[in-house]
Amino acid sequence: MLPIGVEDVLRARSCAMLDVQPARRMLQLALLVVIFGMSYGAVMGSFGGVFGERFWQVFYSAVKVPLLLMGTGALSLPSFFVVNTLFGLRCDFSYSLRALAATQAALTIILASFAPFTVLWYVSFANYRGAILFNALMFGGASFAAQWVLRRFYRPLIKRDTRHRVLLRIWLVIYAFVGIQMAWVLRPFVGSPGIATQFFRQDAWGNAYVRLAEIIWLFFTR
Amino acid sequence: MRKWFKQLDDILRGETTRMSLLTEGRFEIPIGGLSAAIVLLGVSYGLCMGSYAMIRTSGQAYMQLIASAVKLPSLFFLTLIVTFPSLYVFNALIGTRLSVGSALRLLTASLGVILAVLASLGPIVVFFALSTKSYPFMLLLNVATGTIAGLLGLGFLLRTLDRLVIVQERTESLGSGSTADSEQAKKPEDKVTEPTGALDRVGKFTTRKARSVFRAWTIVFALVGAQMSWVLRPFIGAPTLPFQWFRVRESNFFVAVFRALVSLFSS
Repeated sequence: MLPIGVEDVLRARSCAMLDVQPARRMLQLALLVVIFGMSYGAVMGSFGGVFGERFWQVFYSAVKVPLLLMGTGALSLPSFFVVNTLFGLRCDFSYSLRALAATQAALTIILASFAPFTVLWYVSFANYRGAILFNALMFGGASFAAQWVLRRFYRPLIKRDTRHRVLLRIWLVIYAFVGIQMAWVLRPFVGSPGIATQFFRQDAWGNAYVRLAEIIWLFFTR
Repeated sequence: MRKWFKQLDDILRGETTRMSLLTEGRFEIPIGGLSAAIVLLGVSYGLCMGSYAMIRTSGQAYMQLIASAVKLPSLFFLTLIVTFPSLYVFNALIGTRLSVGSALRLLTASLGVILAVLASLGPIVVFFALSTKSYPFMLLLNVATGTIAGLLGLGFLLRTLDRLVIVQERTESLGSGSTADSEQAKKPEDKVTEPTGALDRVGKFTTRKARSVFRAWTIVFALVGAQMSWVLRPFIGAPTLPFQWFRVRESNFFVAVFRALVSLFSS
């Protein structure tokens, strides 16, 4: 009944996944996502300062990071479940779920370890766009590293059945597709110092892909 | 109600289309329960599609929700009705000896697969519907989810047809061969290598003609489904137009998708 540790997640110890009831494990992993996600989120939101009204940005960002990860996961799960079933991999689904949750936990742990870099960047540079790009870089790096954890957790599954590799790619595509839109909807994470603090921006109801298409089009037609 | 979804679950997991069952001549797909599950899943996805209209804060938003919830299961059943006669006829022409009942059960099972996949993509569609103003994007997203669901469902159909043909060929070769052959047919390797999924390919397809006919038929099914969805529109509800149960007859599905793609990039 040991709680799952940071070490177990980062070192992708599959045995730690299997020795306890699945539901309990999922809860423990979710807790890790919340704790470490909120830590990095708080740091993200501290760009404009932490006192006075800006405290709310720190709080909002802290809440938004776990929300982003778990919300995207929840939306992507039903279709992943059905495709797993169709490919005949339903028996492994419980373990897959725990592996995916552990990857999210790993992501937040890695992000939290990058927090000092973010603090240093904020202290050094006052440019808002730069801050956003730096955070995007941190997220990108953490996501990339978290894939190692995912691969390691999935290794026993892939060994048992190579179709899991295909399913893993399908998961990443669905997750990335939903996640990008989710990150866009949940903005601001950093919070421009010049604008008042809000949970959502006024024009939140926009679509990341539509904007991307517009940018690409403008780039080619100017 | 749980029984209906359990039956659908068995189909998705490939339990109903296992070679061992088909070899015994058992193709047990309960049409009634499955149709009920299809209707429920269709209503749920229809609601997801229609949720885009919730952006409009008026009574019309609810009308679109209701209309889509009713129209979506109807879309699939109508496509089934339109394409069923030709499927049965082509099966008879090739000589697979799929009875009317079996052909209907096969198609219903495939519809079940399509709707299971579609309904599972529902939450993603709702999320985008509530956070996107762009109507062309929503149109293309729903076309994409429909395409994915259609591909998986028709994939299931083709794989199951393959298996039924193989089973029939085996029984035919058994009938014409000696008892020694029949012993050989029940090879133990058949059991060991039995795949576990509904989408798994079993054995090599021996009749080329049958294969190409089935594939051609799935293209027909896809085309009918696509155009039927255009005929029954609107499902999503263009923000610039008032609510209507059906729109005026004009253009077609493919032109509309092309126009949506263009407007997405040039807006």
